[in-house]
Amino acid sequence: MIERRNRFVNALGRLNWLLLSVVILISSLGIINLRSASIHSASAFHLSQLVWLVVGLGLVGIISFVPTRLFIRWTYFFYGIVIALLVATALFGTELNASQRWLDLGVFMMQPSELLKLAVILVTARFFHDRDHRGAFHLHQLWLPFLLLIVGVAFVMKQPDLGTSLLIVAIFFTMVLFEGVRWESLVALIFALVVAAPLAYAFVLQDYQQDRVRAYVNIEADAQGQSWQVQQSLIAFGSGQMWGKGPAEGTQIQKGFVPEHENDFIAANWAEERGFMGMLFLLLLYLLFVICVLDVARKARDRFGILVCVGVIAMYFWHLVVNLGMVTGVLPVVGLTLPLMSYGGSSLLVMLVGVGLVLNISAQRPRYG
Amino acid sequence: MTGTTPMAVEQSSTRAGRGEFEKYHRRYLWLLTICLISFVALGLRLWHLQIVEGEEYHRVSTQNIIRQVEIKAPRGEILDRYGVALAKNRPSFDVVVDPAIFLANADETVIDMVKEFLHLTDRDWTRVHDRLKARRGDVVVRRNAARSDVARIEEHQMQLPGVNVRINHQRHYPLHHVGAHGLGYISEVGPNQLRRMQPYGYRRGDFVGQMGLERSFEGVLHGSPGLERKVVDARGNRLGEAETDFLIGEYQQIAPIAGRDLVTTLDADLMVIIDEAIRDYPAGAVVAVDPRDGSVLATYSKPHFNPNAWSGQLSSMEMVRSDNDPFRPMVDKAMSGFFPGSVFKFIGTLAALTEGGYSAHDEVHCPGHYMLGGHRFGCWRAGGHGRVNAYTAMAQSCNVYYYNIAERVGIDPVAKQARALGLGERTGIQLPGEGAGRIVDSDWYDENNPDGYQRGFALNAIIGQGDTLVTPLQLVMAYAAIANGGKLYYPRLVDEIRTQTGDSLFEFHPTIRKRVSFDEEHLEILRESLRMVLHSGVGTARRSSLSHTEAAGKTGTAQVAQIGAVRIPHAERELHLRNHAWFAAYAPFDEPEIALVVFLEHGGGGGGDAAPVAMEILDRYLTREERSALSVRLGDEMAQGNQR
Repeated sequence: MIERRNRFVNALGRLNWLLLSVVILISSLGIINLRSASIHSASAFHLSQLVWLVVGLGLVGIISFVPTRLFIRWTYFFYGIVIALLVATALFGTELNASQRWLDLGVFMMQPSELLKLAVILVTARFFHDRDHRGAFHLHQLWLPFLLLIVGVAFVMKQPDLGTSLLIVAIFFTMVLFEGVRWESLVALIFALVVAAPLAYAFVLQDYQQDRVRAYVNIEADAQGQSWQVQQSLIAFGSGQMWGKGPAEGTQIQKGFVPEHENDFIAANWAEERGFMGMLFLLLLYLLFVICVLDVARKARDRFGILVCVGVIAMYFWHLVVNLGMVTGVLPVVGLTLPLMSYGGSSLLVMLVGVGLVLNISAQRPRYG
Repeated sequence: MTGTTPMAVEQSSTRAGRGEFEKYHRRYLWLLTICLISFVALGLRLWHLQIVEGEEYHRVSTQNIIRQVEIKAPRGEILDRYGVALAKNRPSFDVVVDPAIFLANADETVIDMVKEFLHLTDRDWTRVHDRLKARRGDVVVRRNAARSDVARIEEHQMQLPGVNVRINHQRHYPLHHVGAHGLGYISEVGPNQLRRMQPYGYRRGDFVGQMGLERSFEGVLHGSPGLERKVVDARGNRLGEAETDFLIGEYQQIAPIAGRDLVTTLDADLMVIIDEAIRDYPAGAVVAVDPRDGSVLATYSKPHFNPNAWSGQLSSMEMVRSDNDPFRPMVDKAMSGFFPGSVFKFIGTLAALTEGGYSAHDEVHCPGHYMLGGHRFGCWRAGGHGRVNAYTAMAQSCNVYYYNIAERVGIDPVAKQARALGLGERTGIQLPGEGAGRIVDSDWYDENNPDGYQRGFALNAIIGQGDTLVTPLQLVMAYAAIANGGKLYYPRLVDEIRTQTGDSLFEFHPTIRKRVSFDEEHLEILRESLRMVLHSGVGTARRSSLSHTEAAGKTGTAQVAQIGAVRIPHAERELHLRNHAWFAAYAPFDEPEIALVVFLEHGGGGGGDAAPVAMEILDRYLTREERSALSVRLGDEMAQGNQR
């Protein structure tokens, strides 16, 4: 009894409280932000987001205490389940906004493509963990993770969800490059991408996706659709100026000039109400988060742990950069959420599960002690 | 985004590394560096957006939520003296598009609907789309849209975000072309005009009076627009009351002030009568006034234009056609100077009696011409009139009699008489663009003729030729002064300015411009001689008369081509070489109610052409039983014609 209590206390002691605090702080700011963004609208986004946050933190608690080897063992199985869910989505999914991303599970709707992010992180980490390779990899040695990636991403592309597809690919490549590939392989890869991009634009991208790319290329000229959204977002950002208009005082967001403001464009509300200083504070919190996770990776006991941390950093980093890039008009609108801030259960849960994995690794007994 | 590449550079570290995970150590640094660089880049972008450009975006954000819609003030109506509307407003429907809302929401199907409902071709749509992209405020896509189109748009309102139907006022002139020159027309304010009128609150797209009363009373008729401010969301939907109150409080609406109505002295019926009487002549002018107070009963110019077309969307075809018309339809001939010819002779008679020491019965022999220094001045009747006196000379319009007077008194007393009766200077009518005409004297010739004043000029001047120019309006005011015993009035065109609810704001009282001190005996002689033009056996207009009463008048046939220079018979001449036909008159003779000048540009002869027209007008005017019946009927006919 005492021993068990001690183990629990030890576990609590090993919990990375700084990381958890940063995550809870960002999530709380997210809920406050959602509340002021929807203060005049009928939908109480912040309340359901709060429910998701509580559920998510519960998951974080559970995940952080599960022995890491269980994750390693069940990784491929988990990947299989996610692929199955994607197949189910393709077959029975609910169509919203001309895109079939949602799977109605009765109690709630989920986006299996969000889960794929985690699955790819885990599978890639497991793959390198198993190989335990010291040098750089040849491209042909990576056929298995590539195959798995392509299978998963193909379903996401088909939905269609360009943003998530690109993001998953970016996570994968970040991890692969972190692990190291030979430079010849790298050149070959880059060459393949350069050739593939225009082909993909012409043959793979759906009309609306092509529009987005075009709109990005010429934001000011076309006030329609996508760039209207960006233009209005820019106005929201800019009009926040140094200190912002104050909580719930943002006119751009309150009056609905920015579509999807609770979701992909949530940063516009934060920026409008809290100004440049608010955005700076938020960026510093994310930076702190990255540093915390990097620290966990540095102290991790095995390659799986290190690579999962890198994968989670990649997931957060690419979400953040692409999201802020698109809402401030420097990147095309590809529909990626701002981690922990954007409204949406699937996104929040996946982000939190990622944190849970990092906390789990952090709670492992250190390598030399 | 290939920001990850630096991580791959590190093969050397793997080779160098001894420990299992040592190859990662430099990569953590790389990872952190990339994150830092990205975050700094994002921070700089935010700095630029929020601090550098912040103010501008802030300004835009305030405009974004508060929409200001101008409420146009209904333009004042123009009424005739009995209340018949000469210019009024009809509700019309403009289809307008709010670019911000439309462009944000419109997809192909919406655009197709708009194109279909408004019958726009692809090219039309491209133009509209360019305008939408170029402007912030509402864009009028279709002015004065057909009712059926409006109905379809309103039916599909929900599917057409940013497309609205705005009720507007379309200017309408029920009498169509009748009296168009005096009333004028309105049109969208032009760029130069706008620069001038902006200080008075005019904006692009406003309509402004461009001619006639519409122009001279623009300030009265226009009214001032109101404003409606509303708080809207991105789809243009109005937000709730509480929020609107919070954001803009009491400044939600400024009511427009309707333009004031003008009650004119015009008689719509008389103008319709004139229009019918002059039907056979392509060009000319008619002005009628009430000699008792100087009120203008009718002012009419031909060829006319359709003010309804000019106030709406005038096709460029029509504009070109009107520009090329040799009869200049956009010129108000009632206020333009022409050679008066013999209608000017009443001035000669007055000069003879007052300055020349003539008595009414002093006779002059007319052999058909008059010799001056070897130069032959002809009379219109080559055989001559024989012995004529003041009465018979006027009745027969004998030139030689007047040549004699001119020789006796010289040109200056003639000019003096003419000016005393207001000729050669603007009458002061409340219309823009009035011409002054020209009365010539010896000084004028000294200045304008290389050889200075010659005696012969007086001979031409006294018969209304040479360099004398008189406007029909001046002439009618002068004849009215003869009729009323010497009171030269200002032509009074507007009687009253009043609000649309009928409260009088200002009244224009009859105002005497000059009191001409006629010798009562001279006036009697003049009037009697004018009566004889119509009512004696030798009168040039003896074939014309009124059915119930007597009138006084004078014919005039002004030669446009030099006398004797054109040997072709008059009827075979080209139109622009034909004579101007005049008739100036007042009636009834004993108690004059109306003075009238009929001017037919290149219309032929005063006795044969102008006098019958004038008598038809006077007769119908004086014997009509029901007021306003004609104009109301014409208005109805025109309305039906428009609907078709």
